[in-house]
Amino acid sequence: MAAIAGSLGPLLAIAGVWYYFSPWYTDVGYRPVQPVPYSHKLHVGELGLDCRYCHASVEISAVANIPPTQTCMNCHQLVKRDSPLLAPIRDSVTSGRPMRWVRVHKLPDYAFFAHRAHVAAGIGCVSCHGRIDEMDVVTQTTPLSMSWCLDCHRNPGPNRRPVSEVTNMKWTPPRDARALVAQLERDRPVNPPTDCSGCHR
Amino acid sequence: MIARRSQVLGALALTALVTAGCARGCTSARPPIHINPSMDDQPKALPQSASAFFYDGASMRQPIPGTVAIDGLKEDTAFHTGKGADGEFVATSPVNVDEAVVERGRQRYVIYCQPCHDARGDGRGILYQRGNVPTASMHQEEIVKYPDGRVFDVITNGTGLMAGYRWPIPPADRWAIVAYVRELERKRLAGGPGSVR
Repeated sequence: MAAIAGSLGPLLAIAGVWYYFSPWYTDVGYRPVQPVPYSHKLHVGELGLDCRYCHASVEISAVANIPPTQTCMNCHQLVKRDSPLLAPIRDSVTSGRPMRWVRVHKLPDYAFFAHRAHVAAGIGCVSCHGRIDEMDVVTQTTPLSMSWCLDCHRNPGPNRRPVSEVTNMKWTPPRDARALVAQLERDRPVNPPTDCSGCHR
Repeated sequence: MIARRSQVLGALALTALVTAGCARGCTSARPPIHINPSMDDQPKALPQSASAFFYDGASMRQPIPGTVAIDGLKEDTAFHTGKGADGEFVATSPVNVDEAVVERGRQRYVIYCQPCHDARGDGRGILYQRGNVPTASMHQEEIVKYPDGRVFDVITNGTGLMAGYRWPIPPADRWAIVAYVRELERKRLAGGPGSVR
């Protein structure tokens, strides 16, 4: 009995580390407060803007850019033009000083990641960023940890989709998903790196 | 006996602490705490990161006026401005328009133009519906008669209430959109698909 009780402590400690030290606990659910409460749910979910209307560089660059504030003004010079919530955006446009958005999804600085390559391989935005079109405040939904990256790098097929559907938040695999994976693999075979230097260059 | 009881109590207290605290999946506005910070955050400038050094707070710098980037010499004025050497808009696109170009144009149109001009090009998009903002129809006679170069110029620099889309759309894609808009107009005039109104 005493032995069981004595082993309970270490067991709990192990369980605690397993549960609480994981990025599933430390990173998932990060939802910073932004300087302007921009709602992806409204702009993407309801108005139907494509991700690339703002994040235009995602297909050609390693970085999916945060748009210049002028992009906001394409519409907001005409609608909600006097909204106090948009005052920081208007200030940024007139002063030329960038907004200080709080970054949500961040890999460690020693990991290299290229959006371009992932979009070209048919990995949907939703695979890493979650259902952005349902988020009023953007929240990290995936751990962005190394083991999580490698899960897909070792078997990318199930996460691939036609490149035309990459920004589609509601895309679901067809009934015959295996045929699609085979088709994608024929059209554009991918060989994601699993060696160290693939990402830690 | 007492030792065992204290251990059980301790375990119970730990369980209570764990369950009362935040479990996986609940949200927090505080930055993630990394158990081993390692070199996760290095003092280097990342794209679009903040800078405590430069006066405007941005680590990315604007090019000095007059600098020409590699591939940035825009000698082909028709391609980059829609205007010929005489300063007039070119009547037809300097790009060879084939099916692939029109399809590329359709994809880009959906991203950048459709929000306001709607899928058919009638100008019944978000701003019209939500803000009652008059939005041009691509099918009005005036615009149908625009030379290709002028359509390109409107996309590039904007006109009236419309902002320019020079930043998000590279020139080749702007010409692809011109080709697609021309296709929309042709189909409407021919009474083909899209000629409902």
